[in-house]
Amino acid sequence: MHATIQKQLDDLVSYFKPGEKVFVVGCDNCAAKCHSGGIPETEAMAQRLARRGVDVIGWCVPQPPGVSLCKLANTKKVLQQEHGEEVEKADSFLVLACGQGMHTVIDAVEGKMCHPGCDTIFGGETVSDDFITEYCSLCGECIIEYTGGLCPVTLCSKGLLNGPCGGAQNGMCEVNREQPCGWQLIYDRLKSIGQLESLDRYQDPKNYAKWSRPRNLTVGEKEATFRSLAGLTTVPNRD
Amino acid sequence: MSKLSEQLQSGKFVVTSEIGPPKGVNLEKCLADAEQLRDKVTAINVTDLQSAVMRIGSLAVCAKLVERGLEPIFQLTCRDRNRLALQSDLLSAWVMGIRNVLCLTGDHPALGDHGEAKAVYDLDSVQLLKAAGGLNEGKDLAGHELDGKPSFFLGAVVTPGADPVEPQIIKMRKKISAGAQFFQTQAIYDTDKFERFADQVQGFNVPIIAGIVVLKSAGMAKFMNENVAGITVPSSLIEEMAATKKEDQKKKAVEVSARIIRKAKPFCQGVHIMPLGWDELVPEIIEAADLG
Repeated sequence: MHATIQKQLDDLVSYFKPGEKVFVVGCDNCAAKCHSGGIPETEAMAQRLARRGVDVIGWCVPQPPGVSLCKLANTKKVLQQEHGEEVEKADSFLVLACGQGMHTVIDAVEGKMCHPGCDTIFGGETVSDDFITEYCSLCGECIIEYTGGLCPVTLCSKGLLNGPCGGAQNGMCEVNREQPCGWQLIYDRLKSIGQLESLDRYQDPKNYAKWSRPRNLTVGEKEATFRSLAGLTTVPNRD
Repeated sequence: MSKLSEQLQSGKFVVTSEIGPPKGVNLEKCLADAEQLRDKVTAINVTDLQSAVMRIGSLAVCAKLVERGLEPIFQLTCRDRNRLALQSDLLSAWVMGIRNVLCLTGDHPALGDHGEAKAVYDLDSVQLLKAAGGLNEGKDLAGHELDGKPSFFLGAVVTPGADPVEPQIIKMRKKISAGAQFFQTQAIYDTDKFERFADQVQGFNVPIIAGIVVLKSAGMAKFMNENVAGITVPSSLIEEMAATKKEDQKKKAVEVSARIIRKAKPFCQGVHIMPLGWDELVPEIIEAADLG
C-alpha cells in the first residue's frame, strides 16, 4: 500500500486563490486505511476548508467500497458521470491520496488544476489497523531470496547489501537507537531458518538503472513487460 | 609499494595514527599534527568527513602529506560518492602519490552536521574494495580497460567488539575475498575480548592493526560505552580513570594506551593510535609501549 499523511491544513489553505472553487477527492483504498483520505476524512476536509473560508463545492471518494483512486477508468467514470456538474464547476481539485492518485485525478478531469492534500511517504505493510511500516523500497531488483525475505535496501538505513556496518549497538541502528539494525534482523532470521550461509554470498552493486524514474509496466493475461533505463524485461505470466 | 605494505608483509610491527582535516581552509594545525608523527609512525590515516561532518576532504590532505614526504592512508567512505566518484577519486589519489586506501562504509549523514543530506551508499564497503581491486587489475567496475593502472594497498575495517561478532567476521571474510589486504579495528579496550576475536580470525592470514583510541577520562569511557558501537571500556578501567587527578589525565592516558598496546601486541600486526585531539601524546604513547 502507499502510505500517505495529510499535509498541514495551513499549507493546504495557502494553495487556494480567493474565490477558487474546490472539489475534494479521496481514495477508498490506501488513503482510507491511512485515515488521510477515506470517506470520513474527505468529508471532514471539505468542512475544515469551508470553515477557513475556502469555497468548497463538493467532495467524493470514488466507490465501489475499497476501490483505489488510482484505477483511472473508475475514477473517471465516477467524477465525470456521478459528479459531472461539480467537476464542471470546479476550478481545482484537492486530492487526499498518494501521488499516483493525484495523477489519476489529473487524467480523470482532463488536466484541470489539482492540489496535493497529502505527502506520499512510503510503500508499506498494514501490520494492524493503526500501524503501517516499510519493508520494500520498490527498487526493481529484489535480492531478498538471500536475506531471509527481509530487504536490506529498506531495513538497513544505509541500504548496504553485503552485511552490517560497524554502527549497530545492542542490535539497534546507529541512525536511530530505537530502530533495529536491518542486518541484525536479517542475521537473526537467517540463523532461525538455518540459512546463515546465505550471508557469505557476495552481492554485486545494485543496478540502479532498474530504479530509474519514471518506470512503467505493461500487463496482459499472457505476459508482463517492465520498462526502465535497464531496458525491457518481459516475462510470461502463466507458462 | 607503500612503506605500510612493505612493513606488514615483512612482519614488522607497524604503528599508524591519524589526523582529521579541519572545517575551513586553515590547514596549519592539521599539518602540524601530522608533522609530530614524522618518523614515529609508518603511515597516517586521513579521515574522510569523520562523523559525517563537512570539512576538507581526505584526498586533498593526503596529497599534502605526500608533498611533505609523509605516507598517508586515504580513508574513503561510501557515504558521499557514487561509484563514478569513488573510482575517479581513487584514480586521482594514485596520480597524487597516494598508495594506501582504507575502504569504509562511513557514518550516516544523520549523525553529522548536514542531517538532511542525501546518503549515497551506491556501493558498500565490500563492493568498494572490489572496485578498487578491479582498478588495480586495470579495469573499472563496468569492465572497461584503464589506460594505466594503480596498485593500491587496500585496507578495510572490522569491529571486534561487536555483539554478536559473527556478522562482522562473515563480512570480514567477504572483504578479504573482495581484496582487503589489511584491517584496522574499532577501538580496543577489552584485550581479552580482542584476543578471542584474533583467535577466530587467525586463519584469515591478513594483517590486523588494532585500533587504540586514547582514553581521556572516565566520562569519555562512559560516553563511548553508551553511544559508540562495538566499544566496551571495562569498568576497572573506568574506575582507574575516575581515580586520576585532572592534572595527571594526560599521563594516565599515555600509561593506559601503552598498556593496552602491550597486551594486544601478541595478537595483531600493528596498532593504529587515534588521539582524538590529544595528538601531542602519540609519540609518548609509542615510547611508553616500547614501539619507538
